[in-house]
Amino acid sequence: MSYYFTILSPTDVPLFNIAFGTSKSGGDGIARFRFPDTAQYMNQFIIHSSLDMVEEAQWMNGNMYLKHIDTYPPASAYISAFLTPSGARFLLLHQPPHAAGPNANAGGGGGGGGIGGSSSILGGSFAAGSSAARASASSIAANPTSPQTEEAVRQFMAEVYENYVKTVMNPFYRQGMEIRSAVFRSRVTAAGRKWL
Amino acid sequence: MSSTTKASRIGEELWKTRVDKVNAELVTLTYGTIVAQLCQDYDGNYQEVNKQLEKMGYNIGMRLIEDFLAKSNIGRCANFRETADMISKVGFRIFLNIAPTVTNWTSDNNQFSLVFDENPLADFVELPDDGRAQDELWFSNILCGVLRGALEMVQMQIEAHFVSDVLRGDDATEMRVSLVRYIEDEMPPEEE
Amino acid sequence: MTVFSLIIINKAGGLIYQREFQPGLRKLSTNDYLVLAGTFHGVHAITRTITPKLPLLTPTATASTPTSASSNLASPSGTSTPIPPTTTTTTTTTTTTTTTTTSVAATTYTYPIPGVPATGLESLETDKFRLTCFQTLTGTKFLLFTDPHMANIEVVMKKIYEFYADFVMKNPFYQLEMPVRCEAFDRNLNGWLRGRT
Repeated sequence: MSYYFTILSPTDVPLFNIAFGTSKSGGDGIARFRFPDTAQYMNQFIIHSSLDMVEEAQWMNGNMYLKHIDTYPPASAYISAFLTPSGARFLLLHQPPHAAGPNANAGGGGGGGGIGGSSSILGGSFAAGSSAARASASSIAANPTSPQTEEAVRQFMAEVYENYVKTVMNPFYRQGMEIRSAVFRSRVTAAGRKWL
Repeated sequence: MSSTTKASRIGEELWKTRVDKVNAELVTLTYGTIVAQLCQDYDGNYQEVNKQLEKMGYNIGMRLIEDFLAKSNIGRCANFRETADMISKVGFRIFLNIAPTVTNWTSDNNQFSLVFDENPLADFVELPDDGRAQDELWFSNILCGVLRGALEMVQMQIEAHFVSDVLRGDDATEMRVSLVRYIEDEMPPEEE
Repeated sequence: MTVFSLIIINKAGGLIYQREFQPGLRKLSTNDYLVLAGTFHGVHAITRTITPKLPLLTPTATASTPTSASSNLASPSGTSTPIPPTTTTTTTTTTTTTTTTTSVAATTYTYPIPGVPATGLESLETDKFRLTCFQTLTGTKFLLFTDPHMANIEVVMKKIYEFYADFVMKNPFYQLEMPVRCEAFDRNLNGWLRGRT
């Protein structure tokens, strides 16, 4: 599973971006998206295109966590959203390791057998993806819409939110400014490692 | 150390019974905003910001000492060591609810360090990453001024400065306080 | 329980506050109040200076008393006398020199009440009123004119000091050492004194 997390200001200015991979089920925490490295903008493209859905969903109930709100099937990218009361949007794109396609990354998803570890960032290892996917069927990685995943993302969002509040309370941070704090980045990474 | 425990007891008692409490974030954000604004006003001249903070603290200290004395009802300290205990265990306790450790005395008992395990003024703070603030700005410098102003009012001329700060990545936040002299001519000689 | 009036004198001897709470004393002109403040300030300093100092004679007393006396100095005494330099230096030097040297030097002394430094004039009484003086450690003097039979003046004094700290010193627009013109101070003081009677 690979993740792309972004924070958008109420006026749609990107404040913070981070990409990371799962650390569960033997994952090494490195993001392996299905696009080549040269096309990383695809993540931003997909995640920003879900903003309309967010704006629609935010009035449906009073929750800050909007759960899974959008899917982009061509890249099997799933988007979860979280709203802060001030209107900042936390968006998380998750992309499970492919179950059947040619770019399946068994090493990251299953952790079984001796095939892991050799895969490049481009995801070039051709492995028996189906068995790996079955092995981790109940894990967060394989099933982006399961209740377990929703819960894990909720925990992640809550932890990031807590740290976000502390970061914007920094007197040297001005509203609407890009978040450059290394401390915040490391806290988000830690939250990702802990929950996703 | 009996004077230390006595001071701790006084501090605790006052904190519980005589002090109006105020939300900590309010204090932290107010102070943080002041520092950030100063940094902006002085265009990143952090030496000047340190100086202004110290001056603000000095003016606060000269007023705050009366409140400290009126509340605590304690008399004159016998020596500088006792003064240090009073600052840490009573002063910081009733105004910030912390009690920095008094340590690193020089052999002549005229210099000590206050080591802050916690610092409510600096919660949430990360110094600007302009490559200079980390080396030049003493974020909590107002405290040095407060001590200087307060002690001057009770006839002690001191010098106080920070030597390290966790905000800068140091292991501890430490302030060095040196007694310059007791001000003996407390009242100017006057001719009626 | 009559409190006639209150005068506050800054550390330089200037009158910074004068209020009458209940009639009973004759009024003075503003100028006379200023003179009263200045005169009292001088008399206070003189009375403190003439407080007798009793030399400590026996070597054993010299050995033990300076330390115990200096630790007792912290007891609530409401005085502004700086620690006598002689005491301070002696206390620090005795750690290295012998006790006999100290007693021969005869620089050690005690005040009539051991451990309490000289405070100067504390109260002045006539059959019509009593003047109580409280000097803070910062040198400000509070003079309270009361009925001579009034008890618990310290309580009133302490409360006045607290009001002063709260409504005068914490008023950001009050300039230190300048005349006190703080409406909130007057209001609270008046209200509190009226509530007591």
